[in-house]
Amino acid sequence: MNTYDLIIVGAGPGGSVAAKIAAEKGLKTVFFERGRKPGEKNSSGCGLGPRMFRDFPEMMKKLTPEKCHSMRAGVAARNYFVNKDDIVAGYIMARPTESVSYEPAKSWITMNVYRSEFDPWIAEFATDAGAELKTSTLIIDLLKENGKVSGVIDDKGEKYKAPIVIGADGAVSTVAQKSGLRSKWSQNQVTLTLQYDFQAPSEKIDDIMGDETLAVWWGSNFPASYQVFFNDGFHQGLGNWMTWWDKTPLFYLNRVVNLKYYQRLLKILDAKPRELQAHLLPWLDYPYNTYTDGIILIGDAGGFPCPLEAEGIYPAMVTGKIAAEVAAEAVSSGDFSKESLKKFDEGWKKTSIGEEFEAGAELWNIWKALPFSPKETMSWFVPMIMEILGGIFDWSQPHGKRVRQIISHVKSYMPKATPFIMKNVFPLVAKIFEDDLDKIMDPKKIMKVLPKLLDMLPQKKKRRGSQEK
Amino acid sequence: MKIELEGLTKRIPGTGEFISINSLKCNNCDRCLFVCVMNLWRKKEGKIYLAEDYQSKCLECAACFQVCDAGAIMFKYPAGGTGIVIEKG
Ligand SMILES: Cc1cc2nc3c(=O)[nH]c(=O)nc-3n(C[C@H](O)[C@H](O)[C@H](O)COP(=O)(O)OP(=O)(O)OC[C@H]3O[C@@H](n4cnc5c(N)ncnc54)[C@H](O)[C@@H]3O)c2cc1C
Ligand code: SF4
Ligand code: SF4
Repeated sequence: MNTYDLIIVGAGPGGSVAAKIAAEKGLKTVFFERGRKPGEKNSSGCGLGPRMFRDFPEMMKKLTPEKCHSMRAGVAARNYFVNKDDIVAGYIMARPTESVSYEPAKSWITMNVYRSEFDPWIAEFATDAGAELKTSTLIIDLLKENGKVSGVIDDKGEKYKAPIVIGADGAVSTVAQKSGLRSKWSQNQVTLTLQYDFQAPSEKIDDIMGDETLAVWWGSNFPASYQVFFNDGFHQGLGNWMTWWDKTPLFYLNRVVNLKYYQRLLKILDAKPRELQAHLLPWLDYPYNTYTDGIILIGDAGGFPCPLEAEGIYPAMVTGKIAAEVAAEAVSSGDFSKESLKKFDEGWKKTSIGEEFEAGAELWNIWKALPFSPKETMSWFVPMIMEILGGIFDWSQPHGKRVRQIISHVKSYMPKATPFIMKNVFPLVAKIFEDDLDKIMDPKKIMKVLPKLLDMLPQKKKRRGSQEK
Repeated sequence: MKIELEGLTKRIPGTGEFISINSLKCNNCDRCLFVCVMNLWRKKEGKIYLAEDYQSKCLECAACFQVCDAGAIMFKYPAGGTGIVIEKG
């Protein structure tokens, strides 16, 4: 009989962690994957963050290049600033800084690995723990008895029974739709993200990129585009909320690929396009409707990617763990009601995911206003930043004069920068430091302080030499 | 540089129909035309339609379904074990 204690729809990182923990707790668990194996339907730059290694050490220490050939540590990140003429106006390379407190994160930022290797690897922990994995199986609906969830049905009509179902089925969650928790996202709660995978010889990547194996291309004509290097290839991708697109997404991605600088990089890396992928990625300021009678939604299905930069694998794993624990309690008490499952929400709110979402709206806003508003914001932000960082590299004037030129030019951006800072930066600072927003944001105060600050910067050149004008 | 999209996505046939449009619900907002990476939504004489060969071109992203606030686009995934295979995702 197809009867279980717990059904999990989806064998991504969230579903697999939930299945592993549920099986370890003795629940008869099944998890379903529509692909022939986990991972073959998933695309994601797949930078695995250090928090995964801190919170799931037993699993993560087993992630080795022998298991996942594509693995490459991302140690340093490049940030290219691309101006409105599509010229790389400058770049910053950043390594973990002195204030980083978690020891392993001092030597790397992310582990990059293809999902086609990572997802089967992580699913194996669940099957080893005794959970049953059913692949090539598309779940199309929930079963109900007396108005209560009693299982799921697949596209071949096969029925599977359990008193509780975890929706780990990603951005377009059938479980969310069929349970009535959500028919679809609002257009500003989900992004469309597309990426090319390029093939490139491992040695070339070693020689040319060294350990700078992550990059963000901050553009003025395209939403910020990430580049993630794997053992023998790399992703170039970008996304934005559904509300944003005014042309086909491929137009914007090709704009990155066609940057002169990028073309040169492709050439020296000996890189060739190998795959094109597109995927929805939920990106919310706060998750909502994540559980109801007999149902819990985790990971992307529940809207858990990080509100700032949409790191989603770690949140899927954390929420998967909590959902499995709550399901195990429900199985032992026999209470699958919404009231009992609210422990899921209480649980994740206490984790580092919960902490992240405390400033969710502010983090979400700043990402939307800056890297995902290329024309409105990045078009002035890039030259402003480059003026500050690179303006001094000009030898056509005495340095003092250059400094004055730079400052006066930076000041010319203030009519744009000031409202931006007031609207997006101050609220974030206030939230993070739990300070009173009104105190910081008091416009009268700001308008009093800001001109003074600017006045402190030299207005006019000081007379030093007679020939200087 | 023009990247040839042909051959960049592997597929297992046998998907069955998995996307459709209910023209009665369509309000001609054109959003589906903008978001499809593969350009599979078209408009002819004021009417939105889906390319006939979508099963062999679609990336299964569901962006068209998501973006349609009128609820005119129906989407379910291809039959289990069929459709796109992402090897380097
Ligand atoms: C392009 C891109 C880049 C990203 N980069 C990163 C990154 O660098 N780092 C990071 O941490 N996160 C990243 N993310 C986010 C991350 O991919 C997701 O947040 C994460 O995969 C969520 O895990 P999940 O287990 O909740 O869902 P998923 O990984 O989406 O897994 C859901 C699984 O369920 C299966 N499924 C769906 N519906 C059904 C059904 N009806 N029946 C059976 N099976 C079904 C799917 O095939 C899939 O395997 C990125 C996302 C995208 C799109
Ligand atoms: S998004 Fe929906 S309503 Fe808008 S044009 Fe397309 S099918 Fe019609
Ligand atoms: S699922 Fe994606 S690729 Fe397929 S038709 Fe819809 S928008 Fe286009």
